[in-house]
Amino acid sequence: MRRTMRVLVVEDEKKVAKALREGLEAEHYDVRVASSGEEGFFLVNHEAFDCVVLDLMLPQRDGLEVLTTLRKRGLQTPVLILTAKDTIDDRVRGLDSGADDYLVKPFAIPELLARIRALLRRGRSDQILKLQQDDLEMDLMTRKVTRGGQTLELTVKEFEVLEYLLRHLGHVVSREMLTRDVWRIAARATPFDNVIDVTIARLRRKIDDPFETKLLHTVRGVGFVLRRDRG
Amino acid sequence: MRIAAPSVRTRLSLWHAGVLAIVICFFSAGTLLFVRARLYRALDEQIGQDLATIEKVYREETGDLGELDHRMGMTLFEVAEGQTVIYRTASWPPPATRPYRTRTSVDATHRISVARDETAVRQTLWTLAVVFAAGIPCALGLAMAGGYLLAGRVLAPVGAMAETARRITAESLSARLPVDNPRDEFGRLAGVFNETLSRLEAAFEQLRRFTADASHELRTPLTGIRSMGEVALQRSLTLQEYREVVASMLEEVDRLTRLVENLLLLTRAEAGRIPLTRTVVDLCELVVSVADSLRVLAEDKDQELTVQPLAPVTARCDASILRLGVTNLVYNAIKYTPNKGVIRVTATRSPAGEAVIEVQDTGPGIPTAHRERIFERFYRLDSARSRETGGIGLGLAIARWAVEANGGRIELESEEARGSLFRIVLPSS
Repeated sequence: MRRTMRVLVVEDEKKVAKALREGLEAEHYDVRVASSGEEGFFLVNHEAFDCVVLDLMLPQRDGLEVLTTLRKRGLQTPVLILTAKDTIDDRVRGLDSGADDYLVKPFAIPELLARIRALLRRGRSDQILKLQQDDLEMDLMTRKVTRGGQTLELTVKEFEVLEYLLRHLGHVVSREMLTRDVWRIAARATPFDNVIDVTIARLRRKIDDPFETKLLHTVRGVGFVLRRDRG
Repeated sequence: MRIAAPSVRTRLSLWHAGVLAIVICFFSAGTLLFVRARLYRALDEQIGQDLATIEKVYREETGDLGELDHRMGMTLFEVAEGQTVIYRTASWPPPATRPYRTRTSVDATHRISVARDETAVRQTLWTLAVVFAAGIPCALGLAMAGGYLLAGRVLAPVGAMAETARRITAESLSARLPVDNPRDEFGRLAGVFNETLSRLEAAFEQLRRFTADASHELRTPLTGIRSMGEVALQRSLTLQEYREVVASMLEEVDRLTRLVENLLLLTRAEAGRIPLTRTVVDLCELVVSVADSLRVLAEDKDQELTVQPLAPVTARCDASILRLGVTNLVYNAIKYTPNKGVIRVTATRSPAGEAVIEVQDTGPGIPTAHRERIFERFYRLDSARSRETGGIGLGLAIARWAVEANGGRIELESEEARGSLFRIVLPSS
């Protein structure tokens, strides 16, 4: 078992901060919350963190300013910024200031968790050739999917969705994440939820319906998850 | 300190008077010069005649010069031969107290000088000058007063228009300026103003409707979330039931989020704050990829979704924005076409060289009454039904923006109960 990852959340909105803390703690992170830019700055300088979640709209000291100062001092910790501004300019400015990733509010907690996992994974070689859950197996080289030794015929999209779910095994995947990462559609206004629902339904028909144990679950209002237990 | 610019009326009268003053001055000066020239010429002619008479009398009968003097009255003259004065009138040389005009005729032996009093001429000219000097200011004063009155009358409609326009505010945009004569300048001005008001009124009306619709659309999910939360807290629920409540709330939040995103997109688009990255795009490829991404929906409804023909058609546009527009059209076609229907998507080049994308369905069609407004935000044919199918009423508005932002236009042909045809026309690359 690896050591517990430490995450600093700099967020002034109390409810959001609380939700972030609980969401992260549920994933076994050690969470510290700072409610102002000053406090966040102080904590980063005095304690070691594996990842920083930084809100940009902060009282006293703007998030970008804090970030710029920290990067100038040579801080290497990955930083994920949260922003309500989602124009391209804002994103570019955030990334230019030294952010490693950004998330636009309102965001889904599952997506935030996925982004943090990705940031923490960074730098480690991640050459997975096979994905597996119970008797469901996916060979990324031959692009073959089997369950209980039985080969499943999946369409390209179904394969990609399943691969995405397997890569986020045990974690909920939101529709937004699928739209962006599997369908690669950046425009958030695109009506894609139905497409996702239909694709998931078909995937479920192929990988779950013929079998006793259900793996693909819908978490109503949140998204989908691949895991063994109940939905 | 600067002097405030005088009113149009004052300026008009001043210009009018100024131009009139210049004209009158030139005219008066011309008249004076002309009269002066005429009077002096007449005097000179008289002097010439006198000279001729004197010369004649002198040559023929020298002795009668005295009688001539008597007869000529006011004319003074002197006849001299060399240094010897032969005759001179009593008051020769002419007295310096009065102006005289003198002329001398000299030949080898004698010299004849004639002088005539020109006081009368000078007096006439002086009188004329005085008349002008007194008359011109009077005339100018009258002209100015008249001009001022006239300008006032002519400009009165402008004042009335300004007064009416001032009373027109966002609340009373239906008011219009009175048009007395639509063909004169002021009538045309009022007409143009009224047209602007009409457009403004339409824009305000649209905005008002949009605000009402938007607040309705925003309130519906908010009400849902709130009442679900309230009801859930009133009773003791099982864990499973709480999960259900939270899940429904999240679904409403999802809807709210999507709505806000769509609204933001449209608002930004209208403010021109979405930058376009134009490249040469193969529309056929784009259409195929849109159709493929939505194909599962058509298959789910046993619909036939075809793309044809497969020859490349290029246009210069922002691929992702155009894609959003086409996606919305195809999505709508699938959504509103009943099971086993047919949706046909084509990308072709028109004879005029324009790139054309058509999305044709065998759905219920759009009644004529709705065709004009179908692209407006939140406009729905049947609000109850659409909300059930999960739409938020912005798809076509976004599609229209996506096409128009790329310099194209969107057209609709529809036959009730036979289907609709949405056509995107983009200028040739």
